Amino acid sequence: MSEKRIAEVGPSDYPAKRARTDEDQEDIVIDYNEEDAIPPSPPEEANLVPRGATINFSALTRKLAEARRAKDTEPPANLSSLEQHRRHQDSLVSHIFMDQDFSWLHLKPDHASRPLWISPEDGHIILEAFSPIAEQAQDFLTAISEPVSRPAFIHEYKLTSYSLYAAVSVGLQTEDIIEVRALLRLRVRTFSRKVPVPDSITAFIRERTLSYGKVKLVLKHNKYFVESSHPETLQLLLKDRVIREARLMTVQADNSIKAATFTTSKAPVKGNLVIPGTAKEAEKKKDDGKPATAAPTDADLFTSVVGVEGGLPTLSLSPILMVNFLVDEIEEDDENVHAFEINDAKIDDVKKRCNELEYPMLEEYDFRNDTVNANLEIDLKPATIIRPYQETSLSKMFGNGRARSGIIVLPCGAGKTLVGITAACTIKKSCLVLCTSSVSVMQWKQQFMQWSNVTDKQIAVFTADEKERFAGPSGIVVSTYSMVANTHNRSHESKKMMEFLTSREWGFILLDEVHVVPAAMFRRVVTTIKAHSKLGLTATLVREDDKIADLNYMIGPKLYEANWMDLAAKGHIANVQCAEVWCPMTPEFYRQYLRIQNRKRMLLYCMNPNKFQACQFLIKYHEDRGDKVIVFSDNVYALEAYAKRLGKLYIHGGTGQVERMRILSWFQHSPQVNTIFLSKVGDTSIDLPEATCLIQISSHFGSRRQEAQRLGRILRAKRRNDEGFNAFFYSLVSKDTQEMFYSTKRQQFLIDQGYAFKVITHLDGLDKMEDLVYRTRDEQIELVQSVLLASESEADLGSDVRGGEGDLAGTVTSKDFGRVPRMPGTQRTTGSLQALSGGAHMSYVEQNKSANKKLAREQAPRHKLFAKREKEKAAARKAAR
Amino acid sequence: MRAIKCVLLTCDPAVKEILIAMNERENFIIEDLDDYHLVIKADEEYRIRRELEVELEKNTYSLES
Repeated sequence: MSEKRIAEVGPSDYPAKRARTDEDQEDIVIDYNEEDAIPPSPPEEANLVPRGATINFSALTRKLAEARRAKDTEPPANLSSLEQHRRHQDSLVSHIFMDQDFSWLHLKPDHASRPLWISPEDGHIILEAFSPIAEQAQDFLTAISEPVSRPAFIHEYKLTSYSLYAAVSVGLQTEDIIEVRALLRLRVRTFSRKVPVPDSITAFIRERTLSYGKVKLVLKHNKYFVESSHPETLQLLLKDRVIREARLMTVQADNSIKAATFTTSKAPVKGNLVIPGTAKEAEKKKDDGKPATAAPTDADLFTSVVGVEGGLPTLSLSPILMVNFLVDEIEEDDENVHAFEINDAKIDDVKKRCNELEYPMLEEYDFRNDTVNANLEIDLKPATIIRPYQETSLSKMFGNGRARSGIIVLPCGAGKTLVGITAACTIKKSCLVLCTSSVSVMQWKQQFMQWSNVTDKQIAVFTADEKERFAGPSGIVVSTYSMVANTHNRSHESKKMMEFLTSREWGFILLDEVHVVPAAMFRRVVTTIKAHSKLGLTATLVREDDKIADLNYMIGPKLYEANWMDLAAKGHIANVQCAEVWCPMTPEFYRQYLRIQNRKRMLLYCMNPNKFQACQFLIKYHEDRGDKVIVFSDNVYALEAYAKRLGKLYIHGGTGQVERMRILSWFQHSPQVNTIFLSKVGDTSIDLPEATCLIQISSHFGSRRQEAQRLGRILRAKRRNDEGFNAFFYSLVSKDTQEMFYSTKRQQFLIDQGYAFKVITHLDGLDKMEDLVYRTRDEQIELVQSVLLASESEADLGSDVRGGEGDLAGTVTSKDFGRVPRMPGTQRTTGSLQALSGGAHMSYVEQNKSANKKLAREQAPRHKLFAKREKEKAAARKAAR
Repeated sequence: MRAIKCVLLTCDPAVKEILIAMNERENFIIEDLDDYHLVIKADEEYRIRRELEVELEKNTYSLES
């Protein structure tokens, strides 16, 4: 059936091109391909077409095109004056774009209705998101490429080796070229591009998809093997020095590189497994032969774009089910598989090298045919409902009936945990969960208990305080990265626990907040723990140090990235209005700011009286609207100053546990407390679904991740499904300071996700507000003086947060993480009895008390009615006695 | 007394502070009128404008950098 469809569409592929153009381009493409037969340079960041080759190619093509156009445009007689004017304009403008000028490419005749542009050089795809068929195109694009930036109207996607591979293995099962061409044809049709697919891109896709899937990394009996059904490929790999060195020689293997030296074995035969829901399998079989029914998105796309039978129902099958019917299409049965063993410690190098050699290693785990490792009987509770996008992400992971390693990116509050748990429940093998801090260890355990039917005995926790093991042959262990990666100073108990962890084979390893883990630590985890498949979860796949590419070979490619705007539109996360409020510096503060060159500058722009006023105004405004407001400040000095001055409650690292609980419960339940100030402690560990408005007054330099995490605090707002509900996110920024720079940088990630930041330069009604703080110049000068008196260390960010033992440095972003909090030293003084008892002191009353202290020690006072009733009850009881 | 050719500069308070800081290195301000106005030497004007531009640009984030 697919063939037929292709045939239908085939001829219409290049109708728009003029014959002459076609020839020109074809010639050059061939040259290009020859050049590329030996990859000129290993593209390290998987950066598509090798640069040098392409630029020459396109420059040449451009020149040819220009020459041709010059010829074409010579007789201008038949052109209207407008058209002539246009051409003139074009030639005037085109030099601005330099290499990016593609005006010589021919537009398709019906280009107005086609929403896609493809850059012929670097595989970037631009989508016009306002087009009526953009949504279908989007589904298709997410299947074959990675999103780069998705603001409201123009989206940018990028074709990478990984994304193409994922597309091939999800959509089409066989690797032979005809099928790949079929994919291309499909692209040509569904793509609805404005310009014909540039040949360089076609060549790229063809080439890349060919080499995929030839090499596999397999874990067998606790040893790693590189496996392939093509002995030539293995030989090719072994010619590489890095890989050869990593190879473990077994006794019988001689050094000559012959196919005979590979361990040859029969490929495992894929049998049909009985999984709940098989009844539906038969129904699906009808669609067999259509290669890409795999992902529901694809299926939908095909029906909608092609306009063939509207019969395909919107597939709402669970990922498990999907896995089931795909299994039939794998046709490797009865083929010999060759393999050689690899040294555990060098796994990483080998993987990296293979990537460079353009033979990316697949890490797939055929978990249902694994009889060596004991099954773990867990399932999701029947009441658990998976949201559609979670399902899509999982279907990418289990696309071909095996568990593929990779990373899933979902926004904060969109249920990453549930995705992880569902994956664990699908694989049903022993599972190791690694998270960043001991707090989240407990959260993961609790979530596992909540969503799945795992028993208390099957799930164990391994932290600095608790070292448990699960009973039985299989189970789940939840731990932190540093507990597992730590190599020295272990207690006897944790040593034993580590032996337990390293001695066994894990079916599945779940890596939470994968972006924060340092590469070295990761390497240790990955090499010490033997796991068949890995899944990384994160909300923000960005790092300020650009180490994100390392994750690609250490865990796997990005499998899925959710569209934030889409989720917001569907009500899974809240709609958020983002705004940046510019507060001018007062002259006094700015004078000091210019004079001081050290870290105290930061304190000055945080404490800017105009910012103070803006903050007060916004709090007042939103409290009156009935919002619950959280104010974030990384700087503890500013936090206390603001909270005390504005009479609000605050929590920072130094706030005691009891006080903290009390404040949080007041914020959640009492209508009197609508605003709290949080320091960095609130970034991750405190969950407040009541909050609907967020104001940040100081933040961690240009950290894009922190910005996204903070936004995540209001994304799960309880009221998000109310009609027309909006959450608000304000960033207060002092004008003309470094903060402006940082603020713009911080926003980049969210902008790529499609958020728009409004800039507010003037808050209307600010001047008319009563009891506005620091209104007079004298007060402001007083404030400046107190700031100048503060010690330099007060300007440190997040100084209040100290990670516990085993927490990752990045998560509780403190400067000296892990240090034991300083104990107040004892003091020895001499004095008269009167002095010691305080009689000689000046009497001193603090006028500006923290609102925390004013909180009643007890819970919220009971209503009079209940109090009265209770009193009566007590009296009655007394009387009865 | 000698006459000096001057320019009246209108700016916001923050820019004024930057100018005052610059003035400490090399004197060019003749008279500080109020929060928004300064009188500076006329022949220094273009140099001042250029330096001010550089100073303000430091706080701007661009994708290239």
